[in-house]
Amino acid sequence: MDRKPWIEQIEEIVGPDHILTSDMDRILYGYDASLAKGKADAVVLPGDTDEVSRVMALAHRERIPVIARGSGTNLSGGTVPARGGVVIHLSRMNRILEIDLPNRTATVEPGVITLDLQNRLLRDGFVYAPDPASQKVSTLGGNLGENSGGPHCLKYGVTTNHVLGAEVVLSDGTVMWTGGKTHDSAGYDLTGLLVGSEGTLGVVTCMILRILRAPEAVKTMLAVYDSIEDAGNTVSAVIAEGIVPATLEMMDRVVMQAVEASVQAGYPLDAAAVLIIELDGMVDGMERQAQKIQAICRRHHVREIRTARDDAERAKLWAGRKGAFGAITRLKPSYMVGDGTVPRTRLPGVLKRVLETGEKYGLLIGNVFHAGDGNLHPLILFDERVEGELERVKAASSEILKICAEAGGTISGEHGIGLEKLEEMHFVFSEGDLAVMRQVKKAFDPKGLLNPGKVVP
Amino acid sequence: MNIVQLRKLSYDEVCRCNRCGFCLPSCPVYAVEQRESASPRGRNAITRAVIEGRVGWSRDIERSIFSCLGCGACTAACFPSVGTRDVVMGDRACLAGEGLQPETADRLARSIGKSHNISEEDNEERGDWREILRDVPDDAFEKDAAEVVYFVGCVASFFPMAQKIPVSMSRIMERAGVDFTILAGEERCCGYPLIGAGVPEHVEAHRAHNLRKVQEVGAKAVVFTCPSCYHSWKASYDAEVELLSAPEFLERLIQEKRLPLKELRATVTYHDPCDLGRQSGVFEPPRNVLQAIPGLRLKELPNNRQMSVCCGGGGNVEMVNPELSGRVAQMKIEEIRSTGADMVVSSCQQCLRTMLTRARREKVPLVAKDLTELVMEALEGETS
Repeated sequence: MDRKPWIEQIEEIVGPDHILTSDMDRILYGYDASLAKGKADAVVLPGDTDEVSRVMALAHRERIPVIARGSGTNLSGGTVPARGGVVIHLSRMNRILEIDLPNRTATVEPGVITLDLQNRLLRDGFVYAPDPASQKVSTLGGNLGENSGGPHCLKYGVTTNHVLGAEVVLSDGTVMWTGGKTHDSAGYDLTGLLVGSEGTLGVVTCMILRILRAPEAVKTMLAVYDSIEDAGNTVSAVIAEGIVPATLEMMDRVVMQAVEASVQAGYPLDAAAVLIIELDGMVDGMERQAQKIQAICRRHHVREIRTARDDAERAKLWAGRKGAFGAITRLKPSYMVGDGTVPRTRLPGVLKRVLETGEKYGLLIGNVFHAGDGNLHPLILFDERVEGELERVKAASSEILKICAEAGGTISGEHGIGLEKLEEMHFVFSEGDLAVMRQVKKAFDPKGLLNPGKVVP
Repeated sequence: MNIVQLRKLSYDEVCRCNRCGFCLPSCPVYAVEQRESASPRGRNAITRAVIEGRVGWSRDIERSIFSCLGCGACTAACFPSVGTRDVVMGDRACLAGEGLQPETADRLARSIGKSHNISEEDNEERGDWREILRDVPDDAFEKDAAEVVYFVGCVASFFPMAQKIPVSMSRIMERAGVDFTILAGEERCCGYPLIGAGVPEHVEAHRAHNLRKVQEVGAKAVVFTCPSCYHSWKASYDAEVELLSAPEFLERLIQEKRLPLKELRATVTYHDPCDLGRQSGVFEPPRNVLQAIPGLRLKELPNNRQMSVCCGGGGNVEMVNPELSGRVAQMKIEEIRSTGADMVVSSCQQCLRTMLTRARREKVPLVAKDLTELVMEALEGETS
């Protein structure tokens, strides 16, 4: 590649060890955990906000696209450099700056691994609630960008409900703060705007997070079903009773088979579906609530209910769920994951139509998802090396999102829009809606340099 | 190896990597380097890009591929169990085929070819560690026929820091009345470092020689204090005799009540060597041996067994990139110190050497012993 003159200027800002320009590195920062691919012009690993600001000011002057990323575990192409440019890998900015227990906040840099914060907080009996399945590798900055969810978001809400403030570098390099330690801040809620914007409005370099007391007790159950419909109906019935468990996760047979081959989580391979139902909170009343849920399960023909006896058993049940996406390539080398969300009552019907779509296209679909949220994750299995398969998969995936939208739902629950769901934005937003979003983007990024080609079609 | 062969060997494997990134936190090299080219996911992606013709071999790729410790922690953390370690070894063979291997790897391969060991010393000096045992003749432990062959390995034979291991092991076997022999100058490198250096085709001559020597002795078993030799024999030697790592053999001698162990008052932690634990599945025997020593308390490392973190000494990285190896060792030392144990015990000369070298350089107090040393102390009733 021709060595671009601005590369030397970036070298001066971050030091020669922290800019990567080889052909190899440009390819290595061209993917995430989705099927999308791109190629960066350069990769920068800044050490602090000032370096980010100076790199962005330079990019602004030179009209170079800027794509911020953490561990690159995102699932919709959000961190893929679709139009080249500079990828800012924030892995070096990984310090937990402050844990303020009396005010219940944690202040962190964006490169902190989600689980590292979690483990640190647990020492004091606190938690940061959002728990994406990839939490052992995902970064908090990435969680903010994608507005990540996770099993426990049923009860506690997604990332946006836990970010109080952020330091953000704007497209021209200006550094500003939104929000703060208080739970309400004056003026426009720019923090809320930034969360889930996938780096298209600014690059967050510091964040203040809300932390909660760890629950006094936890009870985890595995409910085993011979039909997916019964499992789906149980979910609707539990919520209709007014019970909000901490998690209500569903997995079907295809996924359980892949997971069991990876870790022996103890899922029954002959079952059609299982639910992982977890309660947390005070010890008092928990048993009564568990019994209520078990009664609902029985009304919906549950075959068996197992309760984790200790932390080790609980960890095993969750290990299987958290590794489900990764495990699926035991069955086929590639997968495309959907992220549609539907009203819970529509879950059983939509699930049926998802499977019918798979049959129509001749594609195997596995399902593992946040049933309590009505957030589906159909995994369409295939081999991207086989010519024509990817097109077929994209068509099926789009059709599934259409089904979700038609059922009164939406096209993304937590994985973001990125590149993969761009066209499907039209399923849920009118031209007028999208025009307003484009104006917001323009206000923050008039030159269109921040993660171009993402989120808004 | 060429690209066509590499495609056959690795293409399906790397295509099963779905880039989920779950391997990243388990890779010690990624932990210190914090960049994609230092990660298992990155190495799989490079291999795939090369096979698909999207990028050509280069010095940058060579650095990434030769910075892999071959520890296998990524595969243990990977839900579809992508065998990145084997992928990397295939890449190295391909890089060597292109003449793009690091200078040190090339020198190592040539040296093993010439002297039959990794140290460039005369192979006849392989048994010189016996000089430490002042009361034995020069040809001690050499027999024409024996039930057991003790395969000492290059590092423990030639590096003074590790020679305590064969000294302890031979004395233990003597005490237990084991009918054993060493091969001395007739033992040759097991071939494992040649795979790491990208020339697996050079292994065969060494393998054939070692197998013939064991056959000539008429042994029923071969015992190893080096986990890499042990793994190498188990994985590729097709030997018709029993192969036992030192911890397995010691466990057996203890069960047969042939080792009267006296009290040792200490709290130890145990480091699982990658080639013994993850690669060969020997997790419990060393722990059982430790627990058979009266007075000894075992405190596990936070990351143990399948999740054990490499010492930094694997995959020839110590030779190719000593600075990187040292930084990984530092991480290991910090984990060991977090246990508050009096010492770390392992069953690998290379792990001990890597950890102790780093500790000495950084002036960190660290006591590290091989399991055989500790058993020898327990036999003599020394207090540690």
